[in-house]
Amino acid sequence: MLCTQNAYTVPQNIATVCAGLLEKFGKAETDGCGNVLCKVGEHRPERKTLLLNAHIDEIAMIVTHIDESGFLKVGKCGGIDVRVLPASRVTIFHNDGKTTSKYYGVLTSVPPHLQTDSSKAAKLDDLFIDTGLGKKAKELISQGDMVLIENRPLEMGSLVTAKALDDRACVMAVLLALEKLVGKETAYNIEVLFSSGEELGSRGAKPGAFKSNADLALIFDVTFGRVHGESDDEYCAIGGGAAIGVSPVLSRELTNALTKTAENAGLPYQTEVMGGGTGTDADAIAVTKGGIPSCTVSIPIKYMHTPVEAVDMNDVENTAALTALFCEGGDTVANR
Amino acid sequence: MRTDEYLEELCALAGVSGDEGAVRDYIISKLSGEFEYTVDPLGSVIVRVKGRNPAKHRLMFSAHMDEVGLIVTFVCSDGCLKFSSVGGIDSRVLYGKRVFVGKDRVPGVIAGTAVHNLSDEELKTAPDEKTLVIDIGCSDKESAEKLVRQGDTVIFDSEFARFGENNETYCSRAIDDRAGCAIMLKMIEDVPEYDTTFCFVVQEEVGLRGAKAAAYTADPEFAIVLETTTAADIPSSKAEKRVCEVGKGAVVSFMDRHTLYDRELYRMAFDTAAEKNIPCQTKSVVAGGNDAGAIHVSRGGVRTAAVSLPCRYLHSPSCVIEKSDLEAVYRLAKELSARIQQL
Repeated sequence: MLCTQNAYTVPQNIATVCAGLLEKFGKAETDGCGNVLCKVGEHRPERKTLLLNAHIDEIAMIVTHIDESGFLKVGKCGGIDVRVLPASRVTIFHNDGKTTSKYYGVLTSVPPHLQTDSSKAAKLDDLFIDTGLGKKAKELISQGDMVLIENRPLEMGSLVTAKALDDRACVMAVLLALEKLVGKETAYNIEVLFSSGEELGSRGAKPGAFKSNADLALIFDVTFGRVHGESDDEYCAIGGGAAIGVSPVLSRELTNALTKTAENAGLPYQTEVMGGGTGTDADAIAVTKGGIPSCTVSIPIKYMHTPVEAVDMNDVENTAALTALFCEGGDTVANR
Repeated sequence: MRTDEYLEELCALAGVSGDEGAVRDYIISKLSGEFEYTVDPLGSVIVRVKGRNPAKHRLMFSAHMDEVGLIVTFVCSDGCLKFSSVGGIDSRVLYGKRVFVGKDRVPGVIAGTAVHNLSDEELKTAPDEKTLVIDIGCSDKESAEKLVRQGDTVIFDSEFARFGENNETYCSRAIDDRAGCAIMLKMIEDVPEYDTTFCFVVQEEVGLRGAKAAAYTADPEFAIVLETTTAADIPSSKAEKRVCEVGKGAVVSFMDRHTLYDRELYRMAFDTAAEKNIPCQTKSVVAGGNDAGAIHVSRGGVRTAAVSLPCRYLHSPSCVIEKSDLEAVYRLAKELSARIQQL
């Protein structure tokens, strides 16, 4: 369900859907940036507040030009992998503020019969979206409309493939963790921030974390899972469990506590070491207000920033289990 | 049944070259005992239809059942599949597409290195079948081989879609040449004016092979090939590079890479189109080729014409045609076949 939603449909969009999903755990609110914030359960002043964050935006395209024959030019919204675009099918979302109209389109490609050199990668500049709408395209579609390749989830062996698994797989892991915590005593006050705008530079997480009362934060995002031809010293293993972050910008104390929690419970986990910035919302959240000690918990993903992203559901489950145990105080950093 | 309904049903079937069985079975089922047909040794279906009148000339219509796709060449130790393309596919349309492997349609994705992890040099190069694999979600060779085998054919995951103004633009894989097959089924259903032989042939995309054998068996004096041809009418291509345009009617070729077409039939096609008010255009670039290449040199030679649908993004998962062109090709094919009998 999470992967079939997007931010561009009114009134039902990914933020309102996520707010709805959080409602059973606590009061959830959406803000003007497209974030969803939720205070889970009871908050007591003697406990520290732990923020669980995952982002709900996804990579997309945006209409920049509409021509007389019904073809559109688009720009990138986030770092979409341009190599996937030729001959892909897309959905164009046009909003009048109240309702959304969807239009079908096909990204152009030049057939092999006419190619001179097909070894050069396609460039976004050379591609158009064919809407089949002719002159009417200008009436029905506006510059600024968003465009997605809407691959719905599909089971593939032990994996699930879909668009937007970056970062909906993590949104799901957080929701599964909250379910496990229902009726249980936790070591922290739990807050959830489902942030917007991560793919454009943590634009949602900055104000979102500012509005929270977090003392500590766990940032759930996807990380590179090993694909065919890559060696095991390069990237995380698909099916190897949550990847716990280690980085100069992260809290080593949180890293150690998460690792210990996983080890004590016998949960599979792996370590993801970064030399500096993590490329996630953690980079912004850690320096919000007077500073919020943070750590990343990542789900390995294949083919990041394509419409065929793939994750192992066991990794999602194990990430949820680790998160729930940590919240319960598996290895607590609450009272330092 | 309407031609576009035949087309939608035909496009739902998998029929990569050499693996056209499902398309053949469908076509035979539509002949429903009413029409006499044979399946030749290569798998082409040859239907001899009695017209309302006996024919003066032996006329053959031909369209191919096969489509471009991929074939599994090797199952790797990590469960990924190496593949080769079947027919001409631009490698730029491969990466990041969903596919179905084999008869059981095992889902997979065409996979490679994440964009973030490529060098600047790799970013400039289109990933090709040497570096790409199909990921079917298996983590080792053993579990992958429970689902697929070497030699399985692979199609793009690409549902037939109607879109654009009035939903009269169609998008699907395999429109090349299920569109020709759909038109022939409609012509058979309507029963032609004169006796006519219809050949639904195999293996066009791997070198016009099925048509070569079928033309020998059908032994025609005249042939009309019903095809789809490259329309490059996108904003970045200049008028002289567009080949033909979607929505501008049937495409009649004077020459492509395999055939110099019969001049009298070429002119006759345009005269007929003008007379009957059927939109018609020519192919303005000498490129591509079709079964006419094999048919016109069959036996002692066959006078041959090609009437095609303009089709954008040919040989990709998303071929695009328009309903009006489908109708124009159907009408022109019908009129032209009657006119040939007057020669």
